[in-house]
Amino acid sequence: MNSATPLIELRNLAKTYRKGAETVEALSGIDLTIEAPAMIAVVGPSGSGKSTLLHMIGAMDRPTRGDVVVAGQDLNRLSQSELTRFRRTTVGFVFQTFNLVPNLTALENVALPMEFNGVTGAVRLQRAHTLLERFGLANRLKHYPQELSGGEMQRVAIARAIANEPPVVLADEPTGNLDSQSGRMVYELLREIARDRTVLVVTHAEELAQVADRTLHIRDGRLLEASPVTTTSR
Amino acid sequence: MGTVIFGLRNVLRNKPRLALVAVLIGIPFFLFFAMQAIGNAVSRQTAVLTRDVNTLLQLRARGSMGHVNMVGQDRILPEDVLDKVRGIGNIVDVEPYLLAMAPITPPNFVMHVGLAPTAVKRLESHGEAGNPRIVAGRDFTPEDTGKNVAIIGQGYAQWAGIKPEDMGTATLTVDATRTHPVIFAMDRPKRDLKIIGTYASGYVFGDLQLFLPIDTFRAIYGIDRGISWVFVRVDSVENVAIVAERLRATVGDVADILVPRSAAVFTATTSRTVLQLVGAAGLVAITLMAIVVFFVLVMQVRERTREIGTLKAIGAANGRIVAQFFTEAVSLSLLGGAVGLAIFLIVGDAAVSRLFALGVGPFLPSQYRPLFESLAIDTQLSAHLLALALLVAVVTAVTGGAYGVWQAIRLSPVEAMKHE
Ligand SMILES: Nc1ncnc2c1ncn2[C@@H]1O[C@H](COP(=O)(O)OP(=O)(O)OP(=O)(O)O)[C@@H](O)[C@H]1O
Ligand SMILES: [Mg+2]
Repeated sequence: MNSATPLIELRNLAKTYRKGAETVEALSGIDLTIEAPAMIAVVGPSGSGKSTLLHMIGAMDRPTRGDVVVAGQDLNRLSQSELTRFRRTTVGFVFQTFNLVPNLTALENVALPMEFNGVTGAVRLQRAHTLLERFGLANRLKHYPQELSGGEMQRVAIARAIANEPPVVLADEPTGNLDSQSGRMVYELLREIARDRTVLVVTHAEELAQVADRTLHIRDGRLLEASPVTTTSR
Repeated sequence: MGTVIFGLRNVLRNKPRLALVAVLIGIPFFLFFAMQAIGNAVSRQTAVLTRDVNTLLQLRARGSMGHVNMVGQDRILPEDVLDKVRGIGNIVDVEPYLLAMAPITPPNFVMHVGLAPTAVKRLESHGEAGNPRIVAGRDFTPEDTGKNVAIIGQGYAQWAGIKPEDMGTATLTVDATRTHPVIFAMDRPKRDLKIIGTYASGYVFGDLQLFLPIDTFRAIYGIDRGISWVFVRVDSVENVAIVAERLRATVGDVADILVPRSAAVFTATTSRTVLQLVGAAGLVAITLMAIVVFFVLVMQVRERTREIGTLKAIGAANGRIVAQFFTEAVSLSLLGGAVGLAIFLIVGDAAVSRLFALGVGPFLPSQYRPLFESLAIDTQLSAHLLALALLVAVVTAVTGGAYGVWQAIRLSPVEAMKHE
């Protein structure tokens, strides 16, 4: 990655939801630059716009105004099919509710984004296998989501998110539905995959905010100016 | 994993639900097949009726009933009428009858009917609609020609004290010298006929007849030449009028020609009404099928909007999602079709007859009622009908699926994932 171009650049980003006569300004004028691979925690009160921010970066929804540039791609300028390609190659998304495809096995779930990306059958299964092994799920390959624990599902979901080796991973409260032990395991994995990519994690957990390279504080759709940057021993 | 396999696996995901959907789609399929089967049966039945009833002309000597021993009505047709009639085109059958009356308990009488053993037995009192069927003993065979055998109506048998178990052994004495206010005596020797069978017709007077081989009749009554009645069957309803015209021209000087009163009206109204009724019901069934398939597919896709959102979020192209759901739509509708067909093949006959009696029967004109009592339903389906039903199902399934998928994929991944 050319370090001259920022990995993520948000300029005056805003998102307004309209519900009948009411409008909710979920994000109001966010400016943010992320230069290099890092683990970044996003914290803020409920309803402050954390999820919305991740959705904008991951091209999960269109901003109302402002620019989102990720890995050199200005999302406002991308066509539908280019946005699809962006979602499968540039970002990986991890959901609080796991969102695995119910009737695919763990292995097939991880292989799915690679299939979308045109990776041939044998290669993608091999890669999915390797990833799940690395995540401690070697003996869960043929399990369906409903046969996995929450922690296991989330590990499968993280493997799926990095299947196409995206430079950015977005995780929205990935431990929200997990007990603390499983949650710790998930954070360790995110920490590990953040070595060579940027991982943005929305979290309420104090521990993560502490191990993150940087913490973004959001309130009422704005980034707090005095966002304290935590330096880590990394 | 291919899109198609993925789609198929999704179909198989929830089995009880799959069964429900298949039955939902299958029932209109079944109704459609059932209506077609009824339509076919009615068409076949109509063909039989129009051949047996509507195309049948009767010839009698001018101004005479043609009963050989009836006072004032004993003039019969000359023998050469048969050849003349046979020379006319568009005729499929020419059946000569000889009739005599015989007194029983006064003032009643019965009819003795001579005909070729293989000819259709028609009733004197219900000339056209009679439908005698053997209820005991046997029917004639060609070997019975000229033999002293007879088949007796059950009413006549009762009067004569002949029981069903007596078939083949019982005899009936024909005595042409016995008289009655309208029957004159013929100076002929008595003759014993062996009763080989009993028939029933469903009519009281219809059951008062005796059928015997025409040669035997001639011998008993001493009628060497001439015919009481000639039944002429025309090859099709359309030709009845022409044949009647030709008959009048050829034998009109000696014969009265009785043309079925309502041949044209009969087919023009009744059969057509039934077929239209059945056709409309078939149309309703196929429309119902289309609606069911459409909405099942729309619902099926709609409730998986979240999954579609996830697929989009991890980078599935819209085309990929559409292809997957089309696979599901097509296989669901084909499965529904198979279920409908299976229901039809398994419970076909009984259920369709019931359906006809309940659903179509009550709307029939009254003269057509007997039709559904004797309707022979079969579960044969033509390949092109099957293809039509499947085509409609697949097209509506794909349309329904497409509508549902379109509703989902035009949403952003987030909107789709938040969809309830
Ligand atoms: N689809 C929507 N329609 C209307 N308003 C919405 C919609 N999505 C989000 N909002 C509003 O936008 C604001 C930001 O929502 P967002 O989900 O980003 O908050 P959050 O910080 O992730 O909260 P939480 O921690 O509870 O998940 C909230 O006020 C929310 O009610
Ligand atoms: Mg949120």
